[in-house]
Formats: sequence, structure tokens, C-alpha cells
Amino acid sequence: MTAIIEALNLSRWYGNVLGISEVNLEIQPGITALLGPNGAGKSTFMKIITGQLKPNIGEVRILGEKVWNNRHIFRRLGFCPEVDAFYEELSGFEFLFFLLSLYGFTTAESRKKAELALELVELTEVKDRQIRSYSRGMRQRIKIAQAIAHNPEIIILDEPLNGLDPLSKRRIIKLIKEFKGEGKTIVVSSHILPEVEALTSEIVLIHQGKILARGDIYFIRELIDSHPHMIRIKSPHFRQLAKILAGEDYILNISFKPQENVVIFETHHRDRFFNRLNELILGSLVTIDEITSPDDNLQAVFDYLVGK
Amino acid sequence: MATIREKGYHHWEGQLRDKPWNFWPITRTGIKLAFERRRFKLLFVLSFLPAVIYGVGVYVSERLENFKFMAQGVDKTLQVNPGFFRSYLTLDLIFFEILLLMSLSGAGLIADDFRHKAIQLYLARPLSKSDYLLGKAGVVMFFVGLLTLVPGILLFILKLLFSGSFKFFLNYPWLILSIIFYSAFLMIFFTAFVLLASSLSNNRNYVIAIMWSIYIFSNVLGAILRIIFHSPYSALLSLKANLDQVGAAFFLVKPPYDYPWFLSFLLLISFCLLAYVVVRRKIRGVEVIR
Amino acid sequence: MNVDLKNIHFSYGSVKALNGVSFSLREGATGLLGPNGAGKSTLLKVMLGFLIPDEGEGRVLGYDLRTEQKFIRQQVGYMPEDECYIPGMDAVTFTSYMGELSGMSRQEAIKRAHDVLFYVGLGESRYRLIDTYSAGMRQRLKLAQALVHDPRLLFLDEPTSNLDPAGRQEILELIREVATIRDISVLISSHLLADIEFICDEVVIINKGLIAASGRIEDLKMINYQLYELKIKGELNSFKKELESSGCRVEETEDRLIKVYTPPGFDHLEIFRVAARNNIQVRQFVRSQTSLEDLFARVVGVD
Repeated sequence: MTAIIEALNLSRWYGNVLGISEVNLEIQPGITALLGPNGAGKSTFMKIITGQLKPNIGEVRILGEKVWNNRHIFRRLGFCPEVDAFYEELSGFEFLFFLLSLYGFTTAESRKKAELALELVELTEVKDRQIRSYSRGMRQRIKIAQAIAHNPEIIILDEPLNGLDPLSKRRIIKLIKEFKGEGKTIVVSSHILPEVEALTSEIVLIHQGKILARGDIYFIRELIDSHPHMIRIKSPHFRQLAKILAGEDYILNISFKPQENVVIFETHHRDRFFNRLNELILGSLVTIDEITSPDDNLQAVFDYLVGK
Repeated sequence: MATIREKGYHHWEGQLRDKPWNFWPITRTGIKLAFERRRFKLLFVLSFLPAVIYGVGVYVSERLENFKFMAQGVDKTLQVNPGFFRSYLTLDLIFFEILLLMSLSGAGLIADDFRHKAIQLYLARPLSKSDYLLGKAGVVMFFVGLLTLVPGILLFILKLLFSGSFKFFLNYPWLILSIIFYSAFLMIFFTAFVLLASSLSNNRNYVIAIMWSIYIFSNVLGAILRIIFHSPYSALLSLKANLDQVGAAFFLVKPPYDYPWFLSFLLLISFCLLAYVVVRRKIRGVEVIR
Repeated sequence: MNVDLKNIHFSYGSVKALNGVSFSLREGATGLLGPNGAGKSTLLKVMLGFLIPDEGEGRVLGYDLRTEQKFIRQQVGYMPEDECYIPGMDAVTFTSYMGELSGMSRQEAIKRAHDVLFYVGLGESRYRLIDTYSAGMRQRLKLAQALVHDPRLLFLDEPTSNLDPAGRQEILELIREVATIRDISVLISSHLLADIEFICDEVVIINKGLIAASGRIEDLKMINYQLYELKIKGELNSFKKELESSGCRVEETEDRLIKVYTPPGFDHLEIFRVAARNNIQVRQFVRSQTSLEDLFARVVGVD
């Protein structure tokens, strides 16, 4: 399947300062999350794929076409930037209407699309109020609205959940997932890992201008062989469990949280570990309340890869 | 027996006191920050040059005999009288120096706090908005005072020292009050002027531009209108002219423009009040908790 | 009780922001949640002495809300959400300056500034200009200026805003430590539920000018004895069928989480037996709890 967004050997620097270096990436339809510490190159990358910045080396193709200086592709692309950039005196509706008419839609179409977009982000009630009077959450939502109003196939969102309260976040996450269902291609950049986990398991991790990891979070976790897995078990027999397993060679480390009845094992071989554990449970040798893997999450993967 | 200091956080066993002059740290910090700017120290020292020259003038006028050979007619022009003091305190150069120093140290007083959102930190403290403004005002008053009040008084003392008697004081007993009151007036005026400008923008450079343009523009406007309309009242438009007018009045010397000095005084006072209202409004608009 | 508010009403003109809010805070960390416009910031302004309520009364740190506002502000430490600092100063000067403005003497403020800067992890960089600090360091500095005068009530507004994942983790751990300090109440306002869960034991949810829920997070998130969340390795289908035939309902969610709803009286060990019979490794096993997010949604009455 040809990728929707193709980045070929992208490099961009600002004088001495490196933006991104030798980035090769293919993005398929669905939701892809762009992660990385501050200064890693996320914004540079986003600016390049939205045609705001020209790479020093390499090129970006969207739907097979070059992005730089290609106005037509912008019609199929929607971008929600991190910073606010509004005409404050316009009302929410006017702002969207104005932008839509720039895309070449007729008055009637622009009006309809503007109202639809406002509905999707739940700003219909305040559509005639000046943007100047909008709260932070509303501003964020109108930014999202302008990225989707023209019904683009590709949506690039830079920190879209910034400043939203938990309910609005949920709604926007739902909205983004709906777009995925419609076959659109969405690239989301975020700092907040729990939010990323709620959206997608496809991640691209950028660090120091290079792509550090790419793919499904769980597979990435699997690949980090050298980093042992942590498994946390809550049980009234936690010390017994530790005693039994301490002799096994695939156990690297054992620690306790006595107040919580918890024992934490570190192992290289999850397969052998879980087989044994399941055996023990079935053999009624121990009773288990809870089994979790505390570092089977994005934060741990992130920390490890970014090298804390 | 040994004891180890506990790791982690320690409570502070002190007392928080509500001091009557709790705005003083703001002033002190403002002054310190001013001196840390690159060219400030140099400009600061150079701005005392007029004071030094006038000081020399005092000396020369006392020892006129020794200098009689230098120039004729010197005794006519170099007389240390109220006009002398007044001329120092209304010197174009002095106002220029004040504006220059304030550009470096006063322009950012409020503007920087807006820009870096520091006002929230101030107002979250047991500081009222008045305390904050007083603290900032103190910085301007400090520098203006150093250029007006202090040299004024020192020149006066110098005159007494060089003349070796209190005769001068007895001739013009009100003079010291003139110096003090006019300097105070200048301090208040410039405080209002600088703080007003500083609160109008959050960019220090814009503030500097505002300060200079208002000052220069008003003076130019006054001059032009005077030429066009030949009316002395056109001087009311020029800040410098107003200050001159009031200065003359405070020193009981004939005012340079032909209208009651009281008008200038009222105008400047209203300006200060207006500035106060605007600045307060701007500060009040800051939301400490959004 | 460090904060005790009773029946607070406040209106901005005709808009009623607080409609009879009663609120109290003990030692420890409490999260303050609420949709935008629910009255959160108004409540905070009243509590920290910036607004006088129309009706109702209360005491914060023993001081009266209406008449002793200045004293309240003296004893409260506030860490604002915005990036705020004073350029041209180093950390020690800045922190001690803030301490002085709170009423400390100069010497005391300087000494205390050093201590506090070490505590928040800025010890090594305390003589550097603040202008050179990274976002994470500036956040710590904000915390330092909030702690310098040893407040008994600490209010943190979105403490992890502007931070990347690494910075967030560090600040969260620091704040969690602060929350364990004896005699301090920490109130955190945030939209990031994960942050609140990490730091706080208690939470207060405000909606439409009223307190919609308050209490210990553990108590509010009821444990659902009938629902288990699993992660497995192996083929789901036969496992699922067998469980369903014993009366359970099995759902798979997007991130490969298996939800097993069990009938009353079901022995959870049976899940492991069924798994073994179907060649399944159980790798995660948790009794499901309402998430803070679900709680929030339920309480605020949407969805």
C-alpha cells in the first residue's frame, strides 16, 4: 500500500542548530502519534510536512505529490498548530467561514461546512461570539475546527488536547477516532503520554532530530530486549511467591512493597515467567489478587529510549 | 552520640512580618537591575557632569577676582542666585539625561512584568497593588532625585561653603524650599510619565519609543504652534515648556511664557492623575488566577 | 482543617459562579477538578483572598475569608500555570526576593532560598540566570518561590503544563514528595487526570458552581467485583467461547485489553483454568475500577 505521507531522507537545520536529520518515514491511514522531548524535531517535522518549511535535503510527498509550493495539496490537508493565531475580532463562525471561502467553496457550502465543523467541536452555542471572548478550551476547539472544516483527508494536529478539560478531551479523542474510521490519515503530536495511549498504538518517536523508534508500542517494548520487564503481583502470599520464583534463572531482580502486599519481579523471559506463574496459580499454591506490568506503557518505553 | 540532619524538607521557624514599607524590596531590586544593564553605569556617571560643571561655576563665581583675567563680563553672567539653581533644574540636558536613564532602567519596570507574567507573582503575595506601584515608583524617584534634588541641595551647600557665610541663605531663605519642592515635583511628574509609558505595552522597546515620542512630539508641537499662532498659550502643549514655566514660578523668577504659571501646574498635575488612573486600571486587569 | 468554607456564593454581575459551595481541606494532597467555567477559578480566588464572597463564610489557615485576606495571602504558596519569572536575576536572588515580598527579612529569605532551591533540585544551578533555564527548571523554580516562605497551603495550577514527558515525570515526583510534607495542604488544579491520580489521595469535583463530588479517590472509584481486565498471550477465540459458556461476557477493547464480566458467585480462579485449557498465558489480571475519567464524566453528568 503506498503511503499517504512519505518523507524521504529529510534533513533540516537552522544555521548550526539541527532540526531533523535523515528522516525517512511512511505514514499510513489511521492515527499516528509523534512523540519526543522538547527540541527533538517534532515541530520542524510538522512544519515540513505541512509545507511551511522547506527541507535542506530530501522531500516530502503527500498522496504522491510534492508538498513544497504545492497549493493544491493544502486543500486535502488540515493543520492545527500549537500556537494561537487568530483574528480576534471575528466570531468563531466568521473565522471558519472566511477560511473556508479561501479554499474556494461557494458561500452556501462554506456556511454549511462551517456550521458542521462548529457542531463537531461543540462550539455551536458560541459561534457568534468574538474569538477574543473565548476561553482557552474554546480557542483550542476552534483551532481544531479550522483544521477539519474543509473535510481534508489528512489531518495534522500539534498538541490538540492542550488546555481542554477531561470531558472535552474525551470528545475530541472520540472525534479523532471517528476520523480514523472514515479512512483519514491523522498525525498527532503530544507531550501527554496517557493521551497518546488513548488514541493509538502507532507511534513515531523522535529524539535529537532522528527517528528513534517507530511502530506499535507493544512491539517496540518487545524489541527492547536488553531492558528487563517488570511484573507486579499483588497477593496475600507475595513472599511465598517470591521464595518459589527466586530460584528460577530467568528472574533478574525481586523487590517488595510490603505495605501493599506486592512483589515486583524483573525478568528477561516473560514467556517462561508467565507459564510458571499460571502453573502456580492453577496448582493452588498461591492466590493472586492482581497481575500488572508497570512498565508496559509508553512512559517507560519513552524513558528508556530517550535514555534516562 | 551523633545527630544527623534529616533529609528532605524543613519547615522554617521564622516569623512573617507585615512591614509598613514592604514595597522596599521592589524598589531596591529595580535599582539593582538597572545597574546591571550594560551601558547604564557609564551613562549614570556621565549624567552628573552638568552638576559638576555647575559646581565649578559656584566656585568660579566666588573666586571671581582670580578669574577676572579670563573674560570680561563674566561677573555679569555668572551670578549664583535663584536663577542659577532654577537653570540647573530646568536644563534641557537634565531632562534628556532623565529620559535616557529611564529608557534603560525605567521602561521595563511594568512592561517586563506584563511580558513575563510576573505581576501574578507579586499580587499573590500580601502586597496590594498600591504597594507594587509604590515600589516601582521608588525606582524612578530614586534616579530622578539623584539628578535633581541631591545636586540641587549640594550646590546650595557648596555655595554656602565657598562663600564662607550664611549670607546667601539669609538673602534667599525660601530657596532651599524651592529646590526641594521643585525637585519633588519633577520626581512625581517623571514617575507618572515613566510608569504610564511602561504600563502601555509589554515590550520594553515600544515603551522607550512611546516615552521619547511623547516628549519630543509635545515640544515640537508647542514650538510649531507658537510660530503659527504667536500665542504664548501654545506652550501649554509642550511638556518641557510647562516644566519650565512651573520651575520659574517655584523659584520666584519671571516665567518664560506670558500666561499664568498656574495653568501649566494644573495641566501637569492632571497628567499625573490621568497616568495614575490608567496605570491602576492596567494592573487591575491582570488576573492572578485564570 | 486548613481550609474550611461554608456555603459560599459569588456572582459576577448577573452570572452566578458559586452557588453555595462548602469545602474543606486537610493535610495532604487534594485534586480540584471541573469543566471550564464550572467555578473552579472563582473558588480559588475566594479561597486565596482575592475575592470576597457575596454570602457564606470561611476560614483559611485560621484567617477569616472576608477580613483577613492579606494574612491568607501571606501563608499561601501559589504556583501559577503561566511561565512567570523576572529576567536578569539568578535563582537565588529571585527566590529570596519573593520571600522578602512575603514578609521575610532579607537574611532569612536568602538562607531559606538556598534551602528551598536544593530541595527542588536546582541546587547546582542556583547561581545561574533564570533566563538560561529550561522549561522543566523554570517549573521547579516556580515551585521554589511558592515554598520559600514555608506556606501551610500550597496551590498548584496545572503544574505540568509546557513540559515534555520527561519533565512531567520529574515534576510530578517532586510534587508528590512535597505533598507528603507534614502540616502542608496541597491543592492541585489540573485537567490531566493522570497527574491528579499520581499525586492526590483526595479529589474535589466542581460543576456549575457546586461541589459535585468530593472524597478519597479510592472510595470514589468503586471497585467493581464483577469485572476483570486481562491481557493475554494466545488465541482469544476459544478462550472467549469457553468463558462465555460459563456465563461471562467477554469484550476486547482497542488496546488489546480483555474485559471479562463475570456472573455473581463466579470464582476468578476459573478464568485461569479456562486459560490453561485453551493454551492462554494470562499476563495481566486486575479487578476493574472506575477510572477517574469515568468518575468525572459520571459526576459532571454527561455521556
